[in-house]
This record gives sequence, C-alpha cells and structure tokens, in this order.
Amino acid sequence: MKALQVRGLAVRYGTHAVLQGVDLELGEGEFVGLVGPSGCGKSTLLRCVAGLVSPASGSVSVFGRPVRGPDPEVGILFQDDALLPWRTSRENVALPLRFRGVDRRDSREQAEAWLRRVGLLGAADRYPGQLSGGMRKRVALAQVLAARPKLLLMDEPFASVDAIVRHFLEADVLRLVQEEGISVLLVTHDLEEAIALSDRVAVMSAGPAARVVREFAVPFGRPRDLVGVRSQPAFGVLVEAVWDALRSEVSRMGWEVPA
Amino acid sequence: MIRAAAALCVLGAWELASRLRWLDPFLVPPPSRVASVLYELVGTGQVWPHFRATVWEAVAGLVVGTACGSALGLLSATVRPVAEVLEPVMAVLNAVPRVVLAPLFVIWFGIGTASKVALSFLLVMVVMFFATYTGVREVDPRLVERVRTLGGGRRDVVREVYVPSVGAWVVSGLKVAVGFAFTGAVVGEFVASSQGLGYLLSFAQSTYNASLTLALIGLVVAAILLLFWGFGRLERWWLRWRPTDPEPVRRAPKPAPAARPAEQAP
Repeated sequence: MKALQVRGLAVRYGTHAVLQGVDLELGEGEFVGLVGPSGCGKSTLLRCVAGLVSPASGSVSVFGRPVRGPDPEVGILFQDDALLPWRTSRENVALPLRFRGVDRRDSREQAEAWLRRVGLLGAADRYPGQLSGGMRKRVALAQVLAARPKLLLMDEPFASVDAIVRHFLEADVLRLVQEEGISVLLVTHDLEEAIALSDRVAVMSAGPAARVVREFAVPFGRPRDLVGVRSQPAFGVLVEAVWDALRSEVSRMGWEVPA
Repeated sequence: MIRAAAALCVLGAWELASRLRWLDPFLVPPPSRVASVLYELVGTGQVWPHFRATVWEAVAGLVVGTACGSALGLLSATVRPVAEVLEPVMAVLNAVPRVVLAPLFVIWFGIGTASKVALSFLLVMVVMFFATYTGVREVDPRLVERVRTLGGGRRDVVREVYVPSVGAWVVSGLKVAVGFAFTGAVVGEFVASSQGLGYLLSFAQSTYNASLTLALIGLVVAAILLLFWGFGRLERWWLRWRPTDPEPVRRAPKPAPAARPAEQAP
C-alpha cells in the first residue's frame, strides 16, 4: 500500500490557484525530497497532506485513507520548533503519548527512551528556553517520533540551525526513520540536502498553479554516509540535473537566470 | 542594597530638615513622628476596624472584579459579537478616570461597604478584562496547531496552550489590579463613609494632621505591597519555565501586559 497518494490535487486561496494538478506518490518506507522555487506552494502541499489545508479538488490519501484532518499516523516537523515553552523536554516528548491516553508513568518512560535516542536524556528536565536551537530541534524530533508516525512530513526542518548542527540532525533523522521504517516527505530549498537524504527527488514548477513536473531517482542505497555520498561523481551529476530542471522553472517566473 | 541605602539617606535628610525647621514640621513632620503615630495607631488597636474594612472592600472588589473581568474577557475573545459590543464599552471605561463614578455609587449603593466594593470592582474589572482578552488573542497559533497535529483534542489545546499562556497575562494583570482595588476602596471611603482608612484619611485631612495622614498612607502602601509581593511570587512560579539567562526566547509569549493597564487612569 502507498504511504501517500496525491492525485490531481488543486488548492486555492480565494481565487488564487496555488496548486493545480499535483500528482505525487510515496511508497512505504520511502524518503522523498520535494524541491521547487520559493513560494511555489511546497509548504501548502505539505499542509494539505497534514490535513491542515483543505483541497479545492483532487484527492489526498495516506495508507489508503482519505485525509480529512490531522491523522494519528502522520507526524509533522515544521521549521518552527513549536515546543510548549512551559513544558520540560520530557513533558514535551510525552505530550503525544498523553493525548493517546498512555498513563503518566508509561509515557514518562517512553519519552525518556526517545530522548535517549536523540542523545538528550540529560536535558530531560530543562525547558525549551534553556536549550540551544539544535537541541530544541532534537526534542521536537523525539516528540514527533514518540507519536509513532508511519509517515513523517518535514518542512525546512533544519533551516534555522548552523551547518554543523544541521549535519548531525540530518544524520539523526535518517538513522531514526530507517530504524522505524517511516516514510518521509521532506520539503526543502536545499537541493543537496534533498539529494543526500532522499531516495527520490520531486521538483515542483513555479507557481501559481504549481505541480510536480519532474522526478529523479537517487542512486544511493540506505543506510548511507551523508558525507561520503556528496563526494561521489553520481551526486554531482544528479545535483546538476535537478538544478537544470529547477532553473527552467525559476526562469519561467520571469527571473534572469545566468546559465 | 543601594536602594536601601538611598532610602535611608532620604529618610535621614527628611528627619534632619524637619528637626532643624528647614521644613515646617507641622506640614512635613519628621519620619520619627510619623512612626510614633503609626505605632500608636497599631498599638492601641484603634486602626484595625478601619484597616480591616478597607482591606475587605479592596479584596472583595479584587476577587469579584477579577472573576467578572476575566470571564467577560474570555467570552469576548471567543464569541465575536460579544467582543463587538463589549470592547468599545471597556475601551471607554478604560479611557475615562473611573473614580469619577464614586459619588454616583454612593447615591446608588449608600455610604456603606457596597459603594466601595463597587468602585473597586469597576477599576479591577476593566484591567482584568483587557489582560484576559489580550491574553487569549496573543496565544501562539503555532502551539495550537502543534498540539492538534500531535493528536490533541479541544480540551488538550485548552489545558496545554490556553491555560498556561492566558494565565501568564492574568497573573501579571493581578499585580496591577491590586493597586486599583485599593484605589477604589480608599477613594470610595474618601467620598462618603463611616469607617475605613479612607475615612480616617479624610478626618486627618480636615484636622490638618499631617503625621496621621502620612501614617495612614504608609499603612495603605504596606497592604498593597504585601499583596503585590504575593502576586509577584505567584507570577514567578507560573512563569518558572522562562529562561533566566539573557538569551531571548522567540517562542515565549510576552506576558508583560503591565505596561498597558498601568497607563490607565484610575
């Protein structure tokens, strides 16, 4: 069964068509990177899959179920690490478990197990305001994973952290989704990040009425070495191919793009 | 430390100026005189019925005003038509010096306790209305969305997001409201009454007794500071998650409504 199936999706804000005729599929356990010119509607597509935005037409289904709102099997990690500032790391991670009716002791233990897996057990009793940006991202990751999602949606999740922290976060994400067999849809404007992490990269056209125009298979297996992969010749070739596809989309927006 | 030293210096200078008759001790009695009057008031127990009356009126106004103000604020923030009716009314009440209503309340509710509680209530209610109303509207929608996508229902959203973030505004509002509650009680007594610190103040004023006046002012300030300190502790406990280091937290709501209500005319 497909983890995600988007067919002929259209989204409008008033009379403005943001998305039109979007088709996208995700197999179980697959990691797909979604790239596109900024403002093209990548985030809208993601929010639509998350059940936070209703489509004007077309269908979205996860694991065969039509999306009608937030789904318990879909986890979301957005750019804003919206942890509850008045809850400790442990309480934040335990939150989705508590919502599912897991009792206090169990949820506490599971939360600690997840914090250990992201290397932050030592910060269990600290509040988000006492953590660095990278640590907050990890807590947010543990929080999402604690809900045991089968599909994880990420929207520029690491945009606000520096390159080194970002590298470690990427490695964490890749390792954990592999271990848990989670399917991932990652929205990013960073081509290399998309290629380094994904099994497949989908390119969206420039808006308005954006859709998925090209898809590229990434020729590396998983688990993979995020540093080693970037130095392979095939990586450079793929970056260039995806970049070409993007360039023609960006130039359609009326930009002068130097070749 | 520095503040305590500065206060001591001022008191010392005042004492000296008054004793050396640079200031007329009849108009500006030395602090030692004020202290002895205060000691006498408290020691003989004369002041207690008055003190109790004022504190009771202020606390009653504070409790009922907070309850009503918060309830109306909550209602306005959640039911659009209510806000459209209430907000302009509250804004007008906020803009005018509400103590001008004191004589009217005496006519309506008599010279007893009720008119003072009513004035205190009105002052507090407007402050708490805006604290709650603003608090609800300032709730971070990202947190609401986060709780929802993590599988939380309506009740979870209220418990995990609304209560802590609106609570911060309400607790800050309370610190401002304490002063208003006592303003209402004392001014109400000042206008017409048979007991209370305001009544004593009015008596002290009519007999040109500056020492008694200053001693009574001291008592009112002490009562306010005590409650203020209590609410300060409550606020610190409520906001214990806020980082103490200088690193700013973007995510934190800004529970500093004190800046606004403080500008209000009493």
